[in-house]
Amino acid sequence: MDDMDLDRLDSPAPDWDALQDDRFRLEVRDWLRANCPPHVRFPAGRMHWHECRDWWERLYRKGWIAPAWPRELGGMGLSPYKQVIMAEELERHGCGRMPDQGITQVGPILVRYGTPEQKAWYLPRTLSGEAIWCQGYSEPNAGSDLASLQTTATEDGDDYVIEGSKIWTTLAMDATHMYLLARTGRGTRKQEGISFLLLDMRAPGLVVRPIRNIAGDAEFCQVFFDRVRTPRSNLVGAAGQGWAIAKSLLGFERLGIGSPRRPQLAFARLQQLAAARGLFDDPVFMERFTALRLDILDLSATYESFVEQVRRGEPLGPDVSLLKVWATEVMQRCSELMIEGGDEHAAFAGTVDVDGSPVNVLAPFYSSRPGTIYGGSNEIQRNILAKAVLGLPQ
Amino acid sequence: MIDAGTAGHRRMLVDSVADYCRRSDPLRRCRMLRGTEPGFDRGAWLEMAGLGWTALVVPESCGGLGLTVTEHALVAGGAAAFLMPEPLTSVMIAARTLAGCIASDAPTDLAHELLAQVASGTTLPALAWQEDAGRVDPAAITATARPSATVAGTVVVDGHKRFVVGGAGADGYVLSVHEAGVPALYWVPAGHPGLKVVLHPLADGRSAVDLHCERMELTAGHRLLAGDAALDALQAGIDDGNLSLAAELLGLSRRLLDLTLDYLRTRSQFGRPIGAFQALQHRAVDLYVHQRIGDATLEQALRTVADARPGGRSAAASRAKARACETAARITRESIQMHGAIGFTDDCDVGLYVKRALVLSAWLGNARLHRARYAERVPLDAEAA
Repeated sequence: MDDMDLDRLDSPAPDWDALQDDRFRLEVRDWLRANCPPHVRFPAGRMHWHECRDWWERLYRKGWIAPAWPRELGGMGLSPYKQVIMAEELERHGCGRMPDQGITQVGPILVRYGTPEQKAWYLPRTLSGEAIWCQGYSEPNAGSDLASLQTTATEDGDDYVIEGSKIWTTLAMDATHMYLLARTGRGTRKQEGISFLLLDMRAPGLVVRPIRNIAGDAEFCQVFFDRVRTPRSNLVGAAGQGWAIAKSLLGFERLGIGSPRRPQLAFARLQQLAAARGLFDDPVFMERFTALRLDILDLSATYESFVEQVRRGEPLGPDVSLLKVWATEVMQRCSELMIEGGDEHAAFAGTVDVDGSPVNVLAPFYSSRPGTIYGGSNEIQRNILAKAVLGLPQ
Repeated sequence: MIDAGTAGHRRMLVDSVADYCRRSDPLRRCRMLRGTEPGFDRGAWLEMAGLGWTALVVPESCGGLGLTVTEHALVAGGAAAFLMPEPLTSVMIAARTLAGCIASDAPTDLAHELLAQVASGTTLPALAWQEDAGRVDPAAITATARPSATVAGTVVVDGHKRFVVGGAGADGYVLSVHEAGVPALYWVPAGHPGLKVVLHPLADGRSAVDLHCERMELTAGHRLLAGDAALDALQAGIDDGNLSLAAELLGLSRRLLDLTLDYLRTRSQFGRPIGAFQALQHRAVDLYVHQRIGDATLEQALRTVADARPGGRSAAASRAKARACETAARITRESIQMHGAIGFTDDCDVGLYVKRALVLSAWLGNARLHRARYAERVPLDAEAA
């Protein structure tokens, strides 16, 4: 295994970015094969912290927990294209997503906007998994229209006092910290007066209430703030700059959300069901099955054209939103054909015996729902494309 | 990966097409020549030959440029954006099949000469291979060539070929037959005795032809190729044809989408441009998404075929054609709706785009056929990365 890597903090971190692309891909692939524990591969839903902590620590010891962070801050310092390679290999191996928002969101934001003290305190703890972050953006009355958020943070001595509520906070029950948007003032536009704050979840007055989702799991929560205090030193950037800070992470990170891998996995389940039900001999089923197969394959071609853009070092434009729209919707179509192909089996909860094979017929149906809602619902994505790409009048 | 020289070459081709279309207004020609025979302008064809477009896939040994379907697709796609009526794809298909004859063990002077004439624009061949609708299998041949009982060195051909798009106004036909138990290709000049050419009007105002051969006599000198190599040559023509049709479909849908977006920006109802309504914005976005998926699929297919085995080539062509048909279908139908009543008139160009898309989609196998063909050719596990 990788016990040797325990020494790495004392020696300079290897420069993974210096490897040739193909060589790097194979290194990652081989290492994942040898080191990724089976219980984090292809999980049914989002993994909780206790389910993946060992995997986090193994990646941390290897120095691979933060591919995008600079090397001097404990990251891998990968170029955008190598980050895509890394993400692709993790996906290919089926590595489930961990509570990684500290790595993907807080880290890059602090690197760009944080004070030296904030960086020195939070970055090492975020890497090691001592600080697990959740995202406090959405509110009961601010979903797609996020800028209308009403949670307030009022200055009081050395603290901000937070009042209000956040909702759809993924894995808040596992988090030690929250990064949130709160209103510190009012401006003429609703995007003004919003600030970006960091918060220790142990602060008095904070209550986390898990919400059971449609599949029966508790992945997201509502979080209530009753005069919750956070030091003013936890303000990131300037007061009122929060909207700009939250929006600043709209680069090539958005490629991941449109990756063909999740639809491919849904399609693999559909294929499994079709084999169990003998549907490959049904011409009507096959017509729809092949159409989906090509919808996913052609998504891959489109995704690769964006990856190629990243490889050439070009920034991604707003048109990348189209990947998310297609990927999430084709996944839902897969789940619908699975329900149709499952016949009576589609009425049953959990994993059922489908003509001799264990299949969870409804799992893709549930797991494909959030994709079209979160990360900017597909309706919001279409608004973005209509305005920023097609230039349609507003 | 393409080298800088190739990339520069391709950019020049794209520019040359755009420039030509600005000068010669192919869309006006498309509208004017509807219902006439042959439905295109021979003078325009010679002009295009002058630009090198007819020589693209012709081997260098025959005076051509020795390029690939990728270059041809750039030209065909660019021309289709303006609904050019001249038979660029049809002639390319015949040329690719003739090039297969040249590359075989038994190249003929005839094939060589025909290719040289294709390159110079003086001969327009058409490929007559298909007999049944809904079947893209060059081996499905019932037409026969039998030795003549009376004249030595002569064969007698009987059979019926259908759906020869680009056959109207062609100077001759590359005809597939069965001869002595093997497939063979013959050249039949237009007007040859025993050949009856029946024109059928296409939806887009052009015509396709059916060929009826009844006791049609050909000599050994008309034979282009015999044996299984003939099927390979046909297959190459059909596969490249579908790639070219995919390029045409995507070229015309891209242009029509632009026209429709312009209309959404300018047409005003209820005191605002209709493109400001979210219901239409989201539908327009869906069309754009389809266009991008289609473009990326064709690009990947063209990259794949550059070094694919023949079977892989067919699969890539099927995938590209299936996607392009779907993209063009969505964009053309929605464009009628978004233009409203004017979109349903003959005066509006939308209808010309719609009808050209119908013709190109149906020709050489529609989306349904090509999806099934792809599934037949590529095992499910072959895609697992």
